[in-house]
Amino acid sequence: MRKSRHEINRYAMIGLLTGGLLLGSLPLLSGCGAAEEDAIVLRVANWEEYMDEGDWDEEDAVEFSDGTILCPESSLVEDFEEWYYETYGQKVRVEYSTFGTNEELYNQITIGDVYDLACPSEYMIMKMMTEGMLEPYSEAFYDADIPENYYVRGVSPYIAGVYGELSIGGEALSTYAAGYMWGTLGIVYNPEKVTVEEASTWKLLLNEKYAKQITIKDSVRDAFFAGVSIYQYDDITAETFRQSDTYAGDMYDKLNATDAVTVDAVENILSAIKRNVYSFETDSGKADMVTGKVLANQQWSGDAVYTMDQAEEDGVELCYSAPEESTNLWFDGWVMLKDGISEAPEKKQAAEAFVNFLSMPENAVRNMMYIGYTSVIAGGDSEKVLDYVNWCYEADPEETDEEDMVEYDICYFFDNEDAVIMTSEDQTRRQLFAQYPPAEVMDRSVIMAYFDAEGNERINRMWTNVRCFDLKSWWEGLAK
Amino acid sequence: MKYAFSRKQLAIPYAVFLVLFVILPLFVVLSYAFTNGDGQISFRNFVAFFGSSKTVGTLLYSVVIAVITTCLCLLIAYPTAYILAKTKMKSGDALLMLFVLPMWINFTLRITALKEILTVLEGNLALHPFLNTIVGMVYDFLPFMILPLYNALAKLDDSYREAAQDLGASKRYVFLRVILPLSVPGIVSGVTMVLLPSMTNYVVLDMVYNSTYIMGSLIGSYFSSYDWHNGSVISIILLVIIGIITVISNRFTEGESDGKVSVLR
Repeated sequence: MRKSRHEINRYAMIGLLTGGLLLGSLPLLSGCGAAEEDAIVLRVANWEEYMDEGDWDEEDAVEFSDGTILCPESSLVEDFEEWYYETYGQKVRVEYSTFGTNEELYNQITIGDVYDLACPSEYMIMKMMTEGMLEPYSEAFYDADIPENYYVRGVSPYIAGVYGELSIGGEALSTYAAGYMWGTLGIVYNPEKVTVEEASTWKLLLNEKYAKQITIKDSVRDAFFAGVSIYQYDDITAETFRQSDTYAGDMYDKLNATDAVTVDAVENILSAIKRNVYSFETDSGKADMVTGKVLANQQWSGDAVYTMDQAEEDGVELCYSAPEESTNLWFDGWVMLKDGISEAPEKKQAAEAFVNFLSMPENAVRNMMYIGYTSVIAGGDSEKVLDYVNWCYEADPEETDEEDMVEYDICYFFDNEDAVIMTSEDQTRRQLFAQYPPAEVMDRSVIMAYFDAEGNERINRMWTNVRCFDLKSWWEGLAK
Repeated sequence: MKYAFSRKQLAIPYAVFLVLFVILPLFVVLSYAFTNGDGQISFRNFVAFFGSSKTVGTLLYSVVIAVITTCLCLLIAYPTAYILAKTKMKSGDALLMLFVLPMWINFTLRITALKEILTVLEGNLALHPFLNTIVGMVYDFLPFMILPLYNALAKLDDSYREAAQDLGASKRYVFLRVILPLSVPGIVSGVTMVLLPSMTNYVVLDMVYNSTYIMGSLIGSYFSSYDWHNGSVISIILLVIIGIITVISNRFTEGESDGKVSVLR
């Protein structure tokens, strides 16, 4: 679902090569496996291109405020194996595999693939929790006094709050999942053609002024979110509704409604969107934005950053908006799978250590640099993550007009009064905005739940209806 | 007892393959199509498919795309194959190569190139989704029509044509009453190679930005939402269509297998 900012590149090539070499050397390893036997094997399933593979160019090196320079050569997985041995005196071998969609991961597990640690998105975590597939994190994992517990010490309090409040069957999500990356769902647009106001609502998808010039994601859930936001537009943007004490809960209920009336209304909206848009795209949207084939497209924040970076290289300036009615707060998190972990108790320690290792501030920065998505790690005592944000987005006062300099406040994420970035005005609509949306955007964000069986069936049928050939309206069109 | 090797045993690998990858999956598909989520036998999935104007709409849409694609392929491929088969020069092989060569290049690459060409010609691809789909399909499947036609026409004995001409048949008459009927087996295998795949090849639609589902995309959509039952129903419907077409095309080629050549009636 979330794709890397690097297209197929040398990292992938190196990955392929090492993969090939590893495969080739498998028989050798098993032949002299005596030394390997006492190593814990940790089977990790992650999204494609979703973890730093090292081998950075010098020009990519990040310099932190304490003068240290980050320019890793080996991959995070290799570094973890080394770190685990140094810290716990035990050997661990990571069997790393990747998947392309949440459904693919779920299907693999149900047909018998066994993993110890996986990184599905929020709704799949909820589904897996409901089905009792997950192993809870140990109490020790959440003990902030243990120095190796980088996750609990570094995770953004905002994200920790989201994980703590979201509960399935009376149990908090944080019992079973630890965060990895997060972001919003919004619209990337070309500000020369589409105005900020027009792009500030999902209704842009229905705007006839841009007929056949906008794309929407070919994904039931993302399309449904846009559709239901348009359907509820008047209700959820009303001032009285926004001021209500129960705003957050009401928003969640309204945008996660799967009753027949809502789904039928969304079907009509999505059918109209289908007639108006360029296409429902699976992966072409990013490239089509850069080449200018389309003027706007629905996109996840991390992909938006990638698209804006790419366009910048071609001299085109693109912007990102999180629509005013609501944006979908999504996140991918690490979960331990019962089937795998129950085989050996020491695996649980290794799995939790893996999550902690990824949560070290410099490792979070490595991942953000490589993937382009935003880590849930704020850094805790360490300034490194904030350093990275400043390193990326702080405007040079000598090169920027004073009028263009703005203070961009992301204190809510870092829980730190110093988290105010002095940046250029356009960054408040561009990469910085996509990576770290301001607090008011998060106030109107909604998590999209996993729907129950009945709701799921209704929404899938709605989707089929939208996408199938509509004989009736074709016939009516002919009759005219 | 000494181990005796018989030629029949050569068929064992294929028999194993057949059972494992053709017959078993077919039973899985059948059992999914005729059961509901609780494992009980049910025709509900079929009723749901034929009861919805949307899914039936997509069936018709796929058929229309497939029929137009097949007709266009036939219209383009027949004269091409005929010329190729009748070329006396050695360049015939080179020419044939030219038509088959695209098959050696990855399909995604070809269709991406086509997409760019169409964008240059039309400006905005999304304005003509149906036309683009047909162009993409014809482009993709043309070699599959040319090859069987070429084979049929190349094998055609020239003495039939000469005999008809000697007996006073005009050129048009020779073609309509001698060459065309003799090439029917080639037409039939070309049509079967193009018609069915073009009902399911949804990659072409994706690539040219046609967001309407055809039968293939419908299967994919059901499967990605774990709906094995409805996905299998679509496969069964396609299977029935294949069956009907095979029966009809067998009728056409039966004359030849009897040794009677229908043209000489």
